[in-house]
Amino acid sequence: MKKLSLKNISAIISISFCIIFAISIIYGCKASQKVSMKTGAQLWAENCQRCHNTPSPSSFSPEQWETIGLHMQTRALLTDTEREKIVEFLKQ
Amino acid sequence: MRQKIIIKTGGVLAILQLLLLAPKLQAQQTVVDSSVLDRINELEKQMAAKKTGEDHFMVAGLATMGFASYKTTNTVNGSSTVTKGNSFPDADNFEFSPMLLWRHGKKLLAEFEPSFNNNGVSVNWADVSWFATPGLIVRAGYLVLPLGTYSKREAAGWIDKLATDPMGIADMAPTDYGVEIEGGLPLGSSKINYDVALTNGNQLLPDGTITSGNIVDNNNNKTITGRLGLLPFSNSSLEVGVSGMFGKVGDQGANIQNTMAKVYAFDLNYVKLLKPILINIKSQYNIQDIDKVDYINPADSSTYSFNNHTISFFVQGSLRPVNASGFIKNVELAGRYTIFNTPANSTFGSNQHTFTIGLDYWLSWRAVFKITYEAYKGNSTASKTLGAYTGLTTTNTLFVHFAIQL
Ligand code: HEC
Repeated sequence: MKKLSLKNISAIISISFCIIFAISIIYGCKASQKVSMKTGAQLWAENCQRCHNTPSPSSFSPEQWETIGLHMQTRALLTDTEREKIVEFLKQ
Repeated sequence: MRQKIIIKTGGVLAILQLLLLAPKLQAQQTVVDSSVLDRINELEKQMAAKKTGEDHFMVAGLATMGFASYKTTNTVNGSSTVTKGNSFPDADNFEFSPMLLWRHGKKLLAEFEPSFNNNGVSVNWADVSWFATPGLIVRAGYLVLPLGTYSKREAAGWIDKLATDPMGIADMAPTDYGVEIEGGLPLGSSKINYDVALTNGNQLLPDGTITSGNIVDNNNNKTITGRLGLLPFSNSSLEVGVSGMFGKVGDQGANIQNTMAKVYAFDLNYVKLLKPILINIKSQYNIQDIDKVDYINPADSSTYSFNNHTISFFVQGSLRPVNASGFIKNVELAGRYTIFNTPANSTFGSNQHTFTIGLDYWLSWRAVFKITYEAYKGNSTASKTLGAYTGLTTTNTLFVHFAIQL
């Protein structure tokens, strides 16, 4: 019984995720106006702390930030717009 | 870089020279010294000839090192034995892993991380990513599988707030050879992301345990691992994810060749500044189910069976007063509770948990000094009839640890 309920919970959670995913594909993936207005600095402050301390823009050169931007996109699965804005900010 | 500086200083000198000459020129209306003009022409030519190129190479990575002092008490049938030890590097406390990153233009990135650690020299990952279109990254190589988030995102020594890894979590999300697609997409004020890999898959060993990362597949069946993540809030503070890994694990031609392994994982990450404290909560729950088949007892090669069901879970919280001033803003307090239950009636079954607490001092955003204390308790559930039962084990360990992003 215990095992069954665990399986049911897993199934329900997984199915809800698939539904959210399907809806997002059907409606096309667009950022709301509020999100589109965000600056690179704001996205940097919000996103980089999710996994580690927020890196200082002075730690790397513009060329290096370009490379790290791609690398972090593979870890954090940032949207392309987020990565572009954050890298632009870090390069300054 | 040097060339750039020379060009720059050359340019500045030329301008200074012109400025110094200016009053003279006005007075006498003579032509500028031709050597200055020649020099300017020469510099202009050099600038035009200098190509920036489109690729970039850099070295990053990490190093962790430390000291561990432990005391273990094992009690079987009422009699106890105590062992004490201390060591500089131990399993969780030494790693030197320079990572190489190559970027070709804006769409290709290769990453290779060799690692010198307690297993000798090994490779953490080696793969090439192609940023195909917005929202789609295609990757191939030796990949960290997207089962949960700990292995891929939280395990690095300078990222993990505690000196140890939570038991059993990373083992179920190994590194494997194959291909992968992933991406992050906006969804109104939320975000979603996906990550799916197709790889050789794990291999079931005769005793019912699993091994991973075979460069040649042990069967012709590939394993699929996938994760869907959702960041519901526009400030990206919360991410929740579900993952699954499905594939046959038995050796081709063996009587266990159709044995399936199914692994599920649920993960949560919440990071929010509640002034003046940065709150950080991370959690993951893994469930691994392998079909019940006949296994072989390594002690005497007889066959036996058990429900091959394993779970691991951790929840970790940490607090750092980032808005405080002075010394205190670099201090972080962390705690974690971990459960790792391996199959009962096997030769290795055990119900285990740990409480871990730690105090960290951040020397910079990417260098940390940690003091971690861990209390472990393991209650053997291994088969008594097979003589595998090991009783109750408790271990208390103090770690002193340093980690840095290279
Ligand atoms: C989802 C987790 C995650 C997020 C979010 C994240 N990082 Fe990272 N970051 C990592 C991990 C994990 C590493 C360690 C290297 C690795 O695993 O390859 C790392 C390493 C780095 C490094 C060291 C160089 C390198 O490429 O390894 C830099 C710099 C860095 N991150 C910057 C950032 C910036 C800037 C952001 C914000 C856009 C960010 N990170 C967001 C997980 C993350």
